[in-house]
Amino acid sequence: MGGGFRVLHLVRPFLAFLPEVQSADRKIPFREKVIYTVISLFIFLVCSQLPLYGIHSTTGADPFYWMRVILASNRGTVMELGITPIVTSGLVMQLLAGSKIIEVDNNVREDRALLNGAQKLLGILIAIGEAVAYVLSGMYGPVGQLGVGNAILIILQLFFAGIIVICLDELLQKGYGLGSGISLFIATNICESIIWKAFSPTTINTGRGAEFEGAVIALFHMLITKSNKVAALRQAFYRQNLPNVTNLLATVLIFLIVIYFQGFRVVLPVRSKSARGQQGSYPIKLFYTSNMPIILQSALVSNLYFISQLLYRKFSGNFFVNLLGQWKESEYSGQSIPVSGLAYLITAPASFADMAAHPFHALFYIVFMLTACALFSKTWIEVSGSSARDVAKQLKEQQMVMPGHRESNLQKELNRYIPTAAAFGGVCIGALTVLADFMGAIGSGTGILLAVTIIYQYFETFEKEKASELGFFGF
Amino acid sequence: MEAIDSAIDPLRDFAKSSVRLVQRCHKPDRKEFTKVAVRTAIGFVVMGFVGFFVKLVFIPINNIIVGSS
Repeated sequence: MGGGFRVLHLVRPFLAFLPEVQSADRKIPFREKVIYTVISLFIFLVCSQLPLYGIHSTTGADPFYWMRVILASNRGTVMELGITPIVTSGLVMQLLAGSKIIEVDNNVREDRALLNGAQKLLGILIAIGEAVAYVLSGMYGPVGQLGVGNAILIILQLFFAGIIVICLDELLQKGYGLGSGISLFIATNICESIIWKAFSPTTINTGRGAEFEGAVIALFHMLITKSNKVAALRQAFYRQNLPNVTNLLATVLIFLIVIYFQGFRVVLPVRSKSARGQQGSYPIKLFYTSNMPIILQSALVSNLYFISQLLYRKFSGNFFVNLLGQWKESEYSGQSIPVSGLAYLITAPASFADMAAHPFHALFYIVFMLTACALFSKTWIEVSGSSARDVAKQLKEQQMVMPGHRESNLQKELNRYIPTAAAFGGVCIGALTVLADFMGAIGSGTGILLAVTIIYQYFETFEKEKASELGFFGF
Repeated sequence: MEAIDSAIDPLRDFAKSSVRLVQRCHKPDRKEFTKVAVRTAIGFVVMGFVGFFVKLVFIPINNIIVGSS
């Protein structure tokens, strides 16, 4: 094995060129971690608002509209690519390593370094590739109008933004911050979107005269300015095409439901063989794979949308292309929306009323959501190394046993819970997303699920850090 | 009929396993739920408003930047 050729070794020559954050060589105090995290977040947010220099226009239909939520990207800004490069490369490396296409021995330091290097290199290549694709596809206006100079400038801006995101995430991962940069950026993007839709001071005209975009602002404005209070209330609660108060209440409800289900877990007692019977527990959560099923499902749907739109634009007369999806531009947002075909069937119905009007669409969508989430969740535990077999192996390495069970039965016992928790947890995640979309929650079901589960994880990380900090003082 | 059974059986097994899992689950009580909900809500609002204010500040800045080009 030592002399054998290994794919990871291909990465070695590039390691010297990759930007790298030094590992923390000392225990970083909790307060400093918070500061690093906040600074990283601020850098990301500023980049999300900086417009790209040199672009001609961004008025065309946005083919990535459906992906913005989970990729923390913003149209026409330096952060156009968002976290796409790093997430894509992470998923690809995870799949390659998990399915043994790439051999990685996590006990070997060099292997871990090479794997990290490979992931970073892939992220950089993806950033370049996507930047070029954006420009050539005419996202910022025809290349002929942009000129070669501006085109190159745009590509460079997107490339460097990709590098920044990769480095920020690595900074947080290497122990300088709390949790992972990816989760932080996604959650903040979603929270900002929801708060913006609630309190936005910008005005938009959708045929009823200029109205505030923010639901809460609009509520108070209508109550103050309209003589007919009842009509004002009805308008604020149920207006179309803009965020309204019902949407806000639905968002809060979904939020509370997710929090509740987060607390579901089976607690298995474990005991240490070495440390004189030290007692502990290993919790298996109902949401065993957390928000991963919804991320994977969203990625699948978004890619299908992208492909369908691309094909429809060029071959709209083709039978199979129409079968995949037909698109029409929305009157108000200027976005393309699917109106028939597979792409339409897997799109959330706009409301309960819409669901009643098209029962087959609603049924197909629900079944697709629940099944996709369950299958992705089940698959993910195998790929990510959190299956019953992997957990049993970890516990053995830590000299842990389960009271009342022989060591060889540990995996069998875990097998009673983990696969079911993964699959059923995935179904619950899917169901909550469907419920959120039907109720018209702001930010989409996907977004809320992601934000809440990510913040919950931060909450747990926070607790652990504080605990170890106090332990540090007590030491 | 056997075809239908072979499709339904796994679903029935899955449903049974799921029900058993939920029954076995420790569920959060009111106090625990409230604590987590409040903290998560705070995190949500803090993150949201940080993003909100950055965006608010950048609207006029962007108007200046884009307007000048």
